[in-house]
Amino acid sequence: MVVDELDALRDKFKGCTAIAFADLSTQMILVTDSSSNLRREALDALCAEAALLLGAKGKPALAEKPSDLATVTSPTELRVFVRAATDPNDVLCCICGPSTDAAAFVANAGECLDRISSGD
Amino acid sequence: MSDLNALTRKLAALTAGDTVFEASGRVIFDGSDSAPVAAILREVDDTILERTLSFTAGKATINIIAAGRRMRGIESVSPHRDDPMIGQMLSREEPEGIQAVFDLLQDLCGDAQKMTVRSLAPEPFGNGGERGISALGLSDLWNIETEVVPKPPLEQFLTKNASVFSSLLHVRKGEVLSTSGDIAALQKIWSTQVQAFREAHNKTVKGEVDAQLICLDGAFDDGTSAAMALYEKDIALIAYEAEHFGTMQSSWQRIFA
Repeated sequence: MVVDELDALRDKFKGCTAIAFADLSTQMILVTDSSSNLRREALDALCAEAALLLGAKGKPALAEKPSDLATVTSPTELRVFVRAATDPNDVLCCICGPSTDAAAFVANAGECLDRISSGD
Repeated sequence: MSDLNALTRKLAALTAGDTVFEASGRVIFDGSDSAPVAAILREVDDTILERTLSFTAGKATINIIAAGRRMRGIESVSPHRDDPMIGQMLSREEPEGIQAVFDLLQDLCGDAQKMTVRSLAPEPFGNGGERGISALGLSDLWNIETEVVPKPPLEQFLTKNASVFSSLLHVRKGEVLSTSGDIAALQKIWSTQVQAFREAHNKTVKGEVDAQLICLDGAFDDGTSAAMALYEKDIALIAYEAEHFGTMQSSWQRIFA
């Protein structure tokens, strides 16, 4: 199940506070991890940020082409947005603590999303 | 340096939170400020109880005996050198020796781009009545400025990661502060996309955050990644290779988190 994949990713990274699986075409959060307590407004904002950073409808946020991976690092948190290799509308939106190993997290998030998106 | 200045600097260093260790040595110089010998003197100035300070710069290792914020002398160096000042206590009575030690340090590490230090148990050195020369005294004798004015956080980040940037455009209030590499693509982003992007992004995050590093993997047609670093009135646009993502993130976290 999708939620099990999200829970497993969250459990692997201490400080990860929310993971959501979203559809960029409708800009809707489809599933969150079972411990996430984000309100609907926060989930909508997270999805809107994913759409902006990953370039909804093929329009890049910055530079020349839409990214498949975007991160926003602030003093209080790291937000990670990953697009699936198999379906460009499948994305993971993640909120982590500011000290999270960003490189390790994005690698694991990409693998997690690919399993979800491909139905493995 | 005065005791008050030294205290202020030490407190700033303790709260900086950007200490980096490599191969069990603490990085005290990374080419971004001051000079290697000045970094050595700062470490001597921080040493109260007698210690062997083992400095490593490239292939050179310099073991210095320090105590009471004074440098007693160079205990040994590696690769081995036949130098009369190695093993000799520093004394103001021997100005030629003081200069020779400076020349030796410059020769061993003056061109270093990085230096680390390890604090080790002291080795027997000289006799008990000799105290060496204070770090402050040596900075005067060698005409070295040891004070480091801390850079603003974003400049620290840009300096420490300069080697991993393909290109950089650093702007404050519309004025270009610094550039590196081929900035044509970054200039185009600056002039056509940044303002609209920031407005749209601020809407999604419900307000502006003081410090942000936004990374977009593979955002250029040639596969290079793009980043935008924001801090107060500064904006830095960066092009980088994706393999450096982790390095940039951990550096940002050390400085800002």
